[in-house]
Amino acid sequence: MTQKILLIEDDTTTADFIANGLEEEGFLTDRAANGRDGLFLATDGTYCCIVLDRMLPGLDGMAVLAALRGAGIATPVIILSALGSPEDRIKGLTSGADDYLTKPFAFAELLARIRLIVRRGTAAPAVQTVLRCDDLEMDLLSRRVQRGGRQIDLQPREYRLLEFLLRHVDQVVTRTILLEGVWDYHFDPGTNVIDVHLSRLRKKIDEGQARPLLHTVRGAGYRIGAQP
Amino acid sequence: MNANSTTFRFAGLVFLFQILAAAVLLFGLGALLRSQSRDAAISRAETMRTDLLESYQFGGAEALGQAVDGRLMAGGSRGAVLFLADARGKPIAGNLRQVPPRLAPSRGYTLLKVARTDHVMPEAMFLRVGRLTGGELFVTGTIVESERKVLAQLERASLAALALSIVFAGFAAFVSTRLITDRLRATVATLRNVRGGDLSQRVPRDGTRDAFGLLGSEVNATLDRVETLNAELKIATDTLAHDLKSPLTRMKSALDRLGRTVREPEALASVDQALAESERLMAMIETALSITRAEAGLGRESFERTNLTEMLATIVEIYAPMVEDEGRMITLNASSAVIVPIHRQLMDQAIGNLIDNAIKYGAGAITLSVRNVEGGVLIAVADEGPGIPPERHAQALARFQRLDDARGGWGAGLGLSLVQAVARLHSGTMELRDHAPGLEVAIVLGGQADPAA
Repeated sequence: MTQKILLIEDDTTTADFIANGLEEEGFLTDRAANGRDGLFLATDGTYCCIVLDRMLPGLDGMAVLAALRGAGIATPVIILSALGSPEDRIKGLTSGADDYLTKPFAFAELLARIRLIVRRGTAAPAVQTVLRCDDLEMDLLSRRVQRGGRQIDLQPREYRLLEFLLRHVDQVVTRTILLEGVWDYHFDPGTNVIDVHLSRLRKKIDEGQARPLLHTVRGAGYRIGAQP
Repeated sequence: MNANSTTFRFAGLVFLFQILAAAVLLFGLGALLRSQSRDAAISRAETMRTDLLESYQFGGAEALGQAVDGRLMAGGSRGAVLFLADARGKPIAGNLRQVPPRLAPSRGYTLLKVARTDHVMPEAMFLRVGRLTGGELFVTGTIVESERKVLAQLERASLAALALSIVFAGFAAFVSTRLITDRLRATVATLRNVRGGDLSQRVPRDGTRDAFGLLGSEVNATLDRVETLNAELKIATDTLAHDLKSPLTRMKSALDRLGRTVREPEALASVDQALAESERLMAMIETALSITRAEAGLGRESFERTNLTEMLATIVEIYAPMVEDEGRMITLNASSAVIVPIHRQLMDQAIGNLIDNAIKYGAGAITLSVRNVEGGVLIAVADEGPGIPPERHAQALARFQRLDDARGGWGAGLGLSLVQAVARLHSGTMELRDHAPGLEVAIVLGGQADPAA
């Protein structure tokens, strides 16, 4: 089934860019250029995700969100905003948004976040005790990791990083998603801080293996999965 | 209180004038009474003298002697002192035993303490002695003992009153300065709160139209203006950021799209570089915006009670691999939990900036520490590099911007400005300290920390 995404954005260039990108990635997109139309389309309820610009002509993004949630529509919402201050972000998230992305953003970042949210919405897995990816196994109870029967010793921080990756197998996670998801750290250090973490983890997991599991996605971030 | 302070001078002036007024009143009155009593006594004695000398002119010493005795016997001249002696000083008549030895012949009167013939105690009297044409000595005078006593009492009373008036003057000085400081207190408190970031504070109106009322309304008018300018500035920066972000977004989108279509490695490298630069530009705008907001005191509503020890441990964990890759170490030095309300995200960013600086400009191990200090909490990032000599710390704080400009990069200047703004947002300060060897940059938060929880 093709997944439908509603894009509410008044800036045509940005909207084109997002819609094209999403369609390339196999999503169907509906577009609305103002809050009123957006709200009207959103009440349809068949979308798997709504991408909502915060500053809109007519009905403001936050008002659209409030109206949606008020009407009991639980479709996941990602807010796009030029307002990047922590207060704006917190206000967005506490008003019922599922994620908040500050403009300008890399398309890969938006895509990764949409995928995360869509996946979260469709598959609510039962409580897992073992996370798997190919022949890599993480036992959450004994906190042991092995690959192909070989025990891998991880530092606590590496363990947490790998746990987050394994909970999102085959999804692209960006550096900022990792900083937020693993450490609840909302500041991008702007250096290659995360890259070093990943290269260390890769050494422990993939070194000497025929099939690497940890992949770098150019211009976006990382992905764990059996497919190269 | 400083002797140069206006309040002190004012109090001193009030005190001085009070004392002066009391002294003039009391001593002036005393002097006036004294001179009046003296004039009256002398004029009475002189009248007597003129009267009696007429008898001498007509009847010589004998007649004068009789006149003196007659005068003394009569009741009408109480307080009169008369004495006549022959040329060798032998008494002829009068109520003195002899010419007082300290009394020299002159035209003026002298105040002396002398006992009369029928009195034991000496009394105060104005006396004049003159040699008559026949060589006799003739003394005239008036007793002023009782007036003297009254005057002496008045003097004592004056001194007591003066002592009392010193107390009153001190009190008046105290009250008047208190009055001034009390009237200024509201203004001072308002300005302090405004400096603390609450621009909506105003001096309460008291309805008076005096200097203090005028000052208050002028301060309020100034604050109105400052608030308006500040609001306009905030709108301008927000608009600017928004306006800058839209073209930046489009630029990044275009580069992003390009990056996903081009295949030539050289073009790809250029695109990546352009993307990295646009990200840096974006980060700079965000940092500048954060500084403006923090400086304006915005964001206090987002303060959350945070365990700084846990927070720093997380930051150490995030940065550790990168620091270790450079052959250095990063450690946390904290003994117990320190819990204070902070702006989590801004503090994360401030500490991140300090670590970045320690990585770029410092050397050796990087030590993060958090501890309770006198009157607050200290968060510090230290390295073991060449550091900065203590006497140049203040200069260095101001110079980081230029130091950074000289490197042709950005980071330390904007980064440290952000640290300083974040510290101020938390009612704290940023300090440079000697780490011997190395530099320690500390954020000292003013708020009292909770006891270790």
